[in-house]
Amino acid sequence: MSSTWVIAQKELLDLRRDRLFAVLIAFLAVATLISVGVAAASFRTQLDAYNLYVQQLAASGSTTVPAAPQLFPLQLLRGGVEYLEILGALFAIVLGYGTVAKEKYRGTLQLLLSRPVGRFAIPAGKVLGLAVVWFIVVALLTVTTTVAILVIGNAPLQGIDIARILIAAVVAWLYLLFWSALAIGITALSHRLSTGLIVAIVVWLVFVLIIPQIGDTMDPDNQVPGGLFATLQIQKPDELKVLANFAVFDSIRNGLEVSSITKHFERLSFAFLGIKDKYNQQPLGLVWADMWGYAITLAAAILASVTFAVGFTTRRNLQRKIS
Amino acid sequence: MLTTRRARTAHLLLFVFIGMIIASSIIGWVTNRTVTGVYEKVVADGLTTAPNPFAGVTPLYYLRNAVIYVVLIGSLMAIVLGVQATLRDRKAATTDLVLSRPVGSVSRLLGQLAGLGVVLAASIGISFFVSWVIISVINGAPLGWADTGRVIGFALLSWVLLTTFALLGMLTGLRSKQETTALLVPFVIWSAVAFVLPQIGTAARPVSLLNPVPAVSSTGGYFDIVSMVTGPVSMTEQFKTASSIILQDTAVTGNAAFSILILVGVLAVMMVIVAATPRSRMRSGLNE
Repeated sequence: MSSTWVIAQKELLDLRRDRLFAVLIAFLAVATLISVGVAAASFRTQLDAYNLYVQQLAASGSTTVPAAPQLFPLQLLRGGVEYLEILGALFAIVLGYGTVAKEKYRGTLQLLLSRPVGRFAIPAGKVLGLAVVWFIVVALLTVTTTVAILVIGNAPLQGIDIARILIAAVVAWLYLLFWSALAIGITALSHRLSTGLIVAIVVWLVFVLIIPQIGDTMDPDNQVPGGLFATLQIQKPDELKVLANFAVFDSIRNGLEVSSITKHFERLSFAFLGIKDKYNQQPLGLVWADMWGYAITLAAAILASVTFAVGFTTRRNLQRKIS
Repeated sequence: MLTTRRARTAHLLLFVFIGMIIASSIIGWVTNRTVTGVYEKVVADGLTTAPNPFAGVTPLYYLRNAVIYVVLIGSLMAIVLGVQATLRDRKAATTDLVLSRPVGSVSRLLGQLAGLGVVLAASIGISFFVSWVIISVINGAPLGWADTGRVIGFALLSWVLLTTFALLGMLTGLRSKQETTALLVPFVIWSAVAFVLPQIGTAARPVSLLNPVPAVSSTGGYFDIVSMVTGPVSMTEQFKTASSIILQDTAVTGNAAFSILILVGVLAVMMVIVAATPRSRMRSGLNE
């Protein structure tokens, strides 16, 4: 355990000195803050349009007052969650790759392997180091975005909102750790270092971008701007009745979506933050009752990813690497 | 071209790109059939009298998803090819050998670009030709001259976008001190161009930008002003706009000329920047 912790500390020190890491995290933080700012500006635009409409109605002598748009503060985080989903995963891959690649590039691999460290100490130490790094990064992003909601979004937060944000932060931490561990395993298995990075990026491309995109594309309701059923003026119960006749197609579509770990992360985060309308302002117990399956699969995926990284980052695999 | 043929890792991205462009037509067709089935069921149940929103869509509708695969997979593939082209020379120090011959640095770089251009053109050509065949089979007859011309126009525009990203990859491959940085910097730039810039100007969420149809600007003071600045530099959105118009997607209207002009302009600027790389930079080694 002690050698594992020593290697984890070394990773922390390396990353603290790494300018590229600082640039990546700064980019992620700026993108997340921009998304909160843009969402808040979009809401204000809606509110201005609403106020103008109400004024025009009053001027025309109408006494009807339409419902005002309502701000749910946590929904301002939607863009930030999506940035973590796409860019966070990409940066997690780069960090995972970097922890293996740097030892080869700097020539420190042979030195590391010459020390009396256990079979799993090196990969476990690297995974542990990245887990700590991602914990710190997610904590900083959480604090920053929470302050952004209060200051930029000018939206008050309740105690339950903070609890929801913390749950989403834990889910994000696990998701990022999944990608870093996967990248460590793939890089360790690849004969050439750059191959490891490119293969990991192809995996990212397929599971983060392509599969969810195909799932969305195949959704019949996404085929028309504003929604197919809304365009045809079909009520929800009738929509469900009609779709029951296309159960096989819908199962394939949903099966594709849930084969991506990204969708599990997205559905969990959106549910707990109340971004998905169905769960907005619902008690946490009710959300958990619906979402525990996703939490289990996400946990299983992380366990598999960490096992893969630790199991395949062997002395033999590391030594046969060429840059 | 020879070195790209030997770079087996890059083949992985090439296969994913070609495969997904071809698959996009089939996915589009299956979805369209299902939606038509849904509409027929709705009508049979007497739930609507509205006309079928898909009546009269052009056969090119099946190709609309290819737009997003060019932006997602094609761009990243082009970046990797561009980075590898220049970085390989620096790692193996072959630039020293090549520049010892009567070859100028501009000729060397433009020669590399020409090779990459041919590889990209071949990938786009193969994938779009197979898509043309699939759409013709689905349609029950070969696509007419007008539709074929539109497919060719879309393919040419895809080549312009991918070559621009390949040039970006070449540039970071020439300028970076480490291989990781050379690959990562263009990925970050791509992320900013594909997600952050369009979001600032339109309030579109990052995931909604995976839609083949360009994001529509939110109307309002802030967004009207900002989108005037971010709109022209959001290259991937300009590509989506021009492609959707070329492919006659009814969700997008307007003139494609402005978007095409921007894409060609950025390509020209990138070519000048890469060609202006000094010999000393081309010959510099990596810091790893």
